[in-house]
Amino acid sequence: MTRMERRNLRNGILFALPYLIGGSIFMVYPLVMSVYYSLCHYNIITPPTLAGLANYRALFFRDEVFWKSVYNTLYFTAFSVPLSLILAVGLAVLLNQAVKGQSVFRTVFFLPTIVPIVASAVLWLWVLNPESGLINGMLREFFNVEGPGWIADIRWSKPSLILMSLWSVGGPMVIFLAGLADVPAVLYEAADIDGAGPWQKFRNVTLPMLTPTILFNLVMGLIGAFQYFTQVYVMTAGKGTPADSTMFYALYLYRNSFVYLKMGYASAMALLLFLVILAATVGVLISSKRWVHYHGE
Amino acid sequence: MRATYIRWVLVIAACAVVVALLWPSEAGSPDEKAALEEGRVIITYWDRHTGHEFDERKALIDEFNAVQDEVYVRALPVGFTMEKLLTSIAGRTPPDILSTEGSILTALAPQHCVMPLDGFIKESESINPDDFFPHMWRAVTFNGHTWGIPITTDSICLLWNKRAFRKAGLDPERPPRTMAELIEYASKLTVRDAAGLKQIGFLPWLPWDHTHMWGSLFGGKWFDDASGRFVCGEDTNIIAMFKWMQSFSIDPNAEKQLPYALNPEMVAAFRTGFGAYMSANNPFYSGKVAMTQEGEWQASFIPRYAPELDWGVAPLPQPEGAPPRSYSPTCVLDMIPAGAPHPEAAWKYIEWFNSPRPGGRPSPASDYNRAISNIPCRRSEATHERFMGDPVFSVFVKEVLTKETPVIPVTPVAQYFVDEVERERELVVLREKTPEQAARDTENNCNAELDRILAIMKRDQS
Amino acid sequence: MVYAVLLVLSAVFISPFLWMLSTSLKHESRIFPKPGEPPQWIPTTARVDAEGRPLVVYQGKTGVDMGRDKLGRHMLQLGDEQVTAWAEDFAVQQRAGLHWQNYADAFHRMAFWRNLRNTLFVCVTVVLGTLVSCSLVAYSFARIPWRGREIVFVLVLATMMLPYQVTLIPLFAMYRQLGWVGTFKPLVIPAFFGTPFYIFLLRQFFLGVPQDLSASARIDGCSEFGIYLFIILPLSKPALATTALFTFLFQWADFLNPLVYLQDDRQYTLAIALQQFQSQHENAWGPLMAMSSVITIPIIILFFLTQRTFIQGITLTGLKG
Repeated sequence: MTRMERRNLRNGILFALPYLIGGSIFMVYPLVMSVYYSLCHYNIITPPTLAGLANYRALFFRDEVFWKSVYNTLYFTAFSVPLSLILAVGLAVLLNQAVKGQSVFRTVFFLPTIVPIVASAVLWLWVLNPESGLINGMLREFFNVEGPGWIADIRWSKPSLILMSLWSVGGPMVIFLAGLADVPAVLYEAADIDGAGPWQKFRNVTLPMLTPTILFNLVMGLIGAFQYFTQVYVMTAGKGTPADSTMFYALYLYRNSFVYLKMGYASAMALLLFLVILAATVGVLISSKRWVHYHGE
Repeated sequence: MRATYIRWVLVIAACAVVVALLWPSEAGSPDEKAALEEGRVIITYWDRHTGHEFDERKALIDEFNAVQDEVYVRALPVGFTMEKLLTSIAGRTPPDILSTEGSILTALAPQHCVMPLDGFIKESESINPDDFFPHMWRAVTFNGHTWGIPITTDSICLLWNKRAFRKAGLDPERPPRTMAELIEYASKLTVRDAAGLKQIGFLPWLPWDHTHMWGSLFGGKWFDDASGRFVCGEDTNIIAMFKWMQSFSIDPNAEKQLPYALNPEMVAAFRTGFGAYMSANNPFYSGKVAMTQEGEWQASFIPRYAPELDWGVAPLPQPEGAPPRSYSPTCVLDMIPAGAPHPEAAWKYIEWFNSPRPGGRPSPASDYNRAISNIPCRRSEATHERFMGDPVFSVFVKEVLTKETPVIPVTPVAQYFVDEVERERELVVLREKTPEQAARDTENNCNAELDRILAIMKRDQS
Repeated sequence: MVYAVLLVLSAVFISPFLWMLSTSLKHESRIFPKPGEPPQWIPTTARVDAEGRPLVVYQGKTGVDMGRDKLGRHMLQLGDEQVTAWAEDFAVQQRAGLHWQNYADAFHRMAFWRNLRNTLFVCVTVVLGTLVSCSLVAYSFARIPWRGREIVFVLVLATMMLPYQVTLIPLFAMYRQLGWVGTFKPLVIPAFFGTPFYIFLLRQFFLGVPQDLSASARIDGCSEFGIYLFIILPLSKPALATTALFTFLFQWADFLNPLVYLQDDRQYTLAIALQQFQSQHENAWGPLMAMSSVITIPIIILFFLTQRTFIQGITLTGLKG
């Protein structure tokens, strides 16, 4: 190593020291303990006792609810991530044009991220109430149609939650707005000269320029969707009703850890989740080399 | 350069000032500090209830702090999230007293999480096990020890909407007394119009799952205390109960539907509707459900949320030949976690709370029950005028006074059992399982879970 | 055309929020619609006559509600006629009116100012700690070329992937050993070590600043720390504001960590205190919505005001790999 490299190495580590220390204490230490617990029977109250791969065997071969939770989570991720990306891009494109009251609109779409969860859940339970709720009420009044059972209906419970998750599209939207603002006007002018219409401009200029942002939101979206917990916990009182149709992976993990006191089992689930998210993220990052265009310095 | 330095220094100074201004209060109120000076023992009390129930408790705790000078109790509402309780137990910083429900006790006690109270009870003059309702005492006494003192209990009865009865041509003062009558009334009270369902006659799983209760009311046996195993698999009464539950949902294969059978999804919707339970939109209050099963707290809820409701209370009907039974899901109790720093002081509070006050006045526990409209766990208190004097409330109390009252099985897998039974019922109602299958699966799944837990506990003890 | 679509979508996005505000101003009895009634948006209150008796409409005729008889039926005086009717069969005349009592009740039920101060203390210190630590760490990943940097960065990202359910117990046990349980330390101190999300965000921004600036500063003999303090940070105000806003937001709403680590309700934060409006058998909906609104509105104003900086900030982030 040259002297320069050594100096950079030293400085690099020095500056990163806060998280190197902090991450080790607050993240790596629990991670290591989780791995340990996953190989134990641990009920939180008495000290853990080693059990080898028993938890993993039970998960894979003897637990129906585990597989249901995997299916539910994949279902949710498969729909909510693309839908929210598309909606966020769409909203950002709409709001990027000089529309009157831009700031107000942006605030409105960001609102859901700010409203307390307890209030949102209660509001959504009303919105989705099949009897007297907002959606079915309007369907009845304006279209004379009887809406579905939403959160109470096995077939509609996951779509209801997906719908709810779209409501928090404000965060990614704002990030896309920034990405859009970064697109050089020159490119649009050139496209105009070539006689491109709005759709072509979007497809050939906006979208490629937006790919770095899409990557960021995609990774964040995936991590969030795989760990989806809070909303479904509040909406179903932690139960995943009806009939486990909304028993998501993180919810089942929660039940195992703090309700059934099977912390070892929950740790095994957490470790599997960690590996899956890591694999998915690395996969996306590797594939990104092919479809992400970083505009030059 | 200099200018930027100065600016940074100013920024840092400003931040320091702001943080100093916002510096939060320390733990420990002025009263507590004064108590510490006096040399009192400070103990912590955690209540899983928040809101109104906690406020009532706090008032009584303030009284305790005022009438003696040895102990000071710091009360904290912690809510129903398990994380706080479990982390403090795992981290060995439990509170001195915890107020919680029976199903939590049965999960924690076998794991050496709770301090047995036998010694304290034996020495106490005012806490007499015989005075407590047997089903309540059984809920807190198992594996050879008593783990908590029950404070409140409930009883579930049939409530009906008198106006709906009148409209259907039924005598509003005469509730159904047999299962046949219940079904007959339910049929007459199920009202449909052109738009759809307008009124539900009766549903066994409103406002929440009561499968366990109905199994008992049918004379079934879910769990055998002696052997500690679940035994419902081949129990004909349990199977009959599941069949009966199933009859409330439409049978796609039947040519003619039972008049009281409903589309299960429509019904499932009632349960989770916004404000479904805790408000004026409760389907029973608003007349969408004509008959329902509810607890004694409704005696104070209904005048509050639905003062115009004209309603009646009666014991729940049971099938012919079933032993007379009432039902109490669980109790609220006070317990001392293992490793609590000041168990003697904690017991002083518990004893005071459950003893009559000087001069023969009712105990604080009785006051508490009255304030939140529950039933005390002691016979001597439950028969007091303040509970029996009210014609509506007394119906509930009479149920527990006069009948055998099963509770949720006293086993470490109580929570699991409750979830499992609800799941089975849902599948039966949706016709994805037969009643026989449901009964068998309940027994097998719960026993398997029980075995797993017991094996772990045995391993931990060896 | 664009405008129309935006308006429709806005209506969808804002309606639940408006409903929260509206509910907070309704009396308990009007919060939930009677069956068959559409939900009520504008809070109203009953019209009363001089003696405070509600004015009613029954079968097209107007009158006064004189009270209830033994059976619970209402006795209505409609001009000369006297009629008895059940509540569902007549309507109470309404006028626009706001039930501010909910707000009074809400403030009465909780030690609002104390909770606010506790919450602000945690939020402000966490914001400060995060800004300092994350900018330092991000600087390392963006402005100093060192061997192994990219791998360590991926590891940093990886630490975001473990759910709280499994980190809670080991962390709690560790804090207990340190004697931090029952204090604010577990809530505040970790922020001074960094958070992966903001490290990522700030790194992206720092990468967007031309490398030439650093290079020429180094040639001039400036130390790394000097470049960080005098060049990079001043150019990053928007990104720092962004980080500050998001951090504040999430800390403001955090319910679980304060609940687990605090042992006296004098230390409770707003998010926990909100729980006080819900008990096992009843929810005080009016005051709950009132307090929720109160808690939300300052953040909305904050967001609105910092919007300029906010969006500009992520712009300059550029997200250039």
